[in-house]
Amino acid sequence: MKKGKVKVLQGNEACAEAAILAGCRFFSGYPITPSTEILEVLSRRLPLVDGICLQTEDEIAAIVAAVGASWGGAKAMTATSGPGFCLMQEGIGMAVAVESPLVLVNVQRGGPASGQSTSTAQGDFYQARYGSNGDYSLIVLAPSSGQEMFDHTVRAFNLAERFRVPVIILADEVVGHLREKVFIPEPEELTLVPRKRPTVSAAKFVPFEPDKDGVPFMPDFNTGFRIPVISQAKSLTGNRGNAKEATENIHRIVAKIEDHLDEFAEVSVYGDETAETAFVTFGSLCRVARGAVDMGKETGLKLKSVEVKTLWPFPDELVARALSRVKRIVAAEMNLGMLAREVSRVVRRPETKIELFSKIGGIYPQPQELLRHLEEKR
Amino acid sequence: MKTLERIDIDRRFCKGCLLCREVCQYEVLEPGKERSDLDHLMPWPARPENCKLCRLCELNCPDMAISVVVKEGGKGTT
Amino acid sequence: MNPLGEKYLRKNFLPFHFCPGCGDGIIIQAFLRAVDELGIIDDLAMTAGIGCSAWIPVYMHADVLKILHGRAIPAAIGLKATKPSRKVVVFTGDGDGLAIGGNHFLHAARRNIEMLVVVVNNQIYSMTGGQVAPSTRVGSRTQTTPYGNLEKPLDACKVGTACGATFVSRWSTTHSRELTRSFKKALGHKGFSLIEVMSQCPVQTGRYILGSGSPAFNLKWLKENCQVVKSPAEHDEVESAGKIPLGDFLQIQRPEFIEEILKMNERVKAEAKGGEG
Repeated sequence: MKKGKVKVLQGNEACAEAAILAGCRFFSGYPITPSTEILEVLSRRLPLVDGICLQTEDEIAAIVAAVGASWGGAKAMTATSGPGFCLMQEGIGMAVAVESPLVLVNVQRGGPASGQSTSTAQGDFYQARYGSNGDYSLIVLAPSSGQEMFDHTVRAFNLAERFRVPVIILADEVVGHLREKVFIPEPEELTLVPRKRPTVSAAKFVPFEPDKDGVPFMPDFNTGFRIPVISQAKSLTGNRGNAKEATENIHRIVAKIEDHLDEFAEVSVYGDETAETAFVTFGSLCRVARGAVDMGKETGLKLKSVEVKTLWPFPDELVARALSRVKRIVAAEMNLGMLAREVSRVVRRPETKIELFSKIGGIYPQPQELLRHLEEKR
Repeated sequence: MKTLERIDIDRRFCKGCLLCREVCQYEVLEPGKERSDLDHLMPWPARPENCKLCRLCELNCPDMAISVVVKEGGKGTT
Repeated sequence: MNPLGEKYLRKNFLPFHFCPGCGDGIIIQAFLRAVDELGIIDDLAMTAGIGCSAWIPVYMHADVLKILHGRAIPAAIGLKATKPSRKVVVFTGDGDGLAIGGNHFLHAARRNIEMLVVVVNNQIYSMTGGQVAPSTRVGSRTQTTPYGNLEKPLDACKVGTACGATFVSRWSTTHSRELTRSFKKALGHKGFSLIEVMSQCPVQTGRYILGSGSPAFNLKWLKENCQVVKSPAEHDEVESAGKIPLGDFLQIQRPEFIEEILKMNERVKAEAKGGEG
């Protein structure tokens, strides 16, 4: 059994605790409901571990400062919600382009624009993947509980270092604010992935020459490598690339993530594996679906819930496998059908119905509503 | 005493902007007929004997193509 | 090649992609001379955004992070915070630094975070083809003010001073020795340093605003329109005569942001320890 302690924490607090244990020593953020607690907790906690927490002048500065800190040698994080997430999009693309490890937490709220600042939503599903310009890839994780806020945060730091990419934790207001028991392991119980340092001398170092897995080695600034890091499509030397070099550069930064999806893709199934009716959910809606599966069981309904934990790259194979013998699929989400769209892309069987249970407006659904959907839409 | 050995104009970098000629108070440099590697007409030191080693041409060369090489006791240094 | 170039430029990135007669290369040389005299090339961490002047640090063989339009200052803060011994330098233009990046400029100056921000002012958006900038003088015709600019230009040095910068200078590319001297002072200054460099852009400013694309003409324009001042009174006089004052305007001491954070960290750590005992 792992050594550690159980605390009652808000999801946002669990995220902040995990960040510190994962080695985060730089946080920059801007207050925005419902993510502000992460900034608040880290402004109290980071000074105690020789870290720096900055409240920046806006969310753009927050993500850019985190990228600067990342190249400065620190594990860096920022957190925000919808409107701030919009402002950070250019920075996300930049972090991808300069291959900067970074963790970004988006505690989703209603949108568009100011939307509903204190209400939950899951409308940033596609924005998390496609919000910045051009072709790129990154990793998005979706926690459904305080515990997963903790675990996914540690994992996010590891994946960010492993692939030199921004990793987004796509939480939502319910997960961020819910207080529940969270197991916090002792630091020695955690496996942390270190940054991949250059293995050759500065004289022989080619700044963006990839390792076999497509991920280049990353020196800190001021360690003698004198590296040019530009956010343009570049050649291996770091200079602006010609058409061929730019093409190769973009293919590589996409492939280094998508080709390794097996390493980190996670989809879990709750309920009766053999059930022919399944919910597909992510984030806090997993909790509602679990409730519906349990209540259904009491009345003799065989149900399961397929929970997508790694949202992007979308785990096509795992989702398809989990739904392979299912006849009726209900994608349950707090948006107008984004996950449902991905599921219908992955599951293409004429006999299988893919339905949408959608709830927006900020009221978190009850399990009974999912069961009612099954009855009414039959 | 320092004297001019030569004014080097690096043909790999010269863009022929002639700021060197503009800043020189002593009319050392003049537009030339030779083209640089970047296909610009390069200046040339037409009156090196006028040079007072002020290095303004070097300081104002936007392409860092110019170096004023001085000699002391017959040995060229920069 | 200039010996400083031999010593400090990234050879495989040359030649500079700047247009003939551009001031950016003069600034590179003036800056490298300061770096050379101080011997700090390995301590440099430079950031830049987008625009012609944002390419200035890229050619120097040092650690450089060239990122988004207007966002060089936040990146510099991240670098400074993670290793305060770094000499953090931001190269930005009048558009990059004062328009899209203006907010970051205000707040970095306010915090007095130790970094040198070099604002290269050529009075126009050059890379995009000659549009009005926050530094463009009233009446100037640009691609986006075809009937003349109506907006009062922003004085970076005054704004920086008002916000709390503790080192403020303005020089021009025609004063490269003074510029080097100022770079050296700023690189040794504990606090937020701003050096505005009036620079020529023959291709855009020259052709559209000043009336000639000749590099020599544009350098001469700077010579005639900039004047070194020794006192605030002289500064105002020069300004009311329609000229651009140059000089080292301000150097004062004020607590530096990152140093204060580190002190605070030590204090709260000691308090936390005391609390446990």
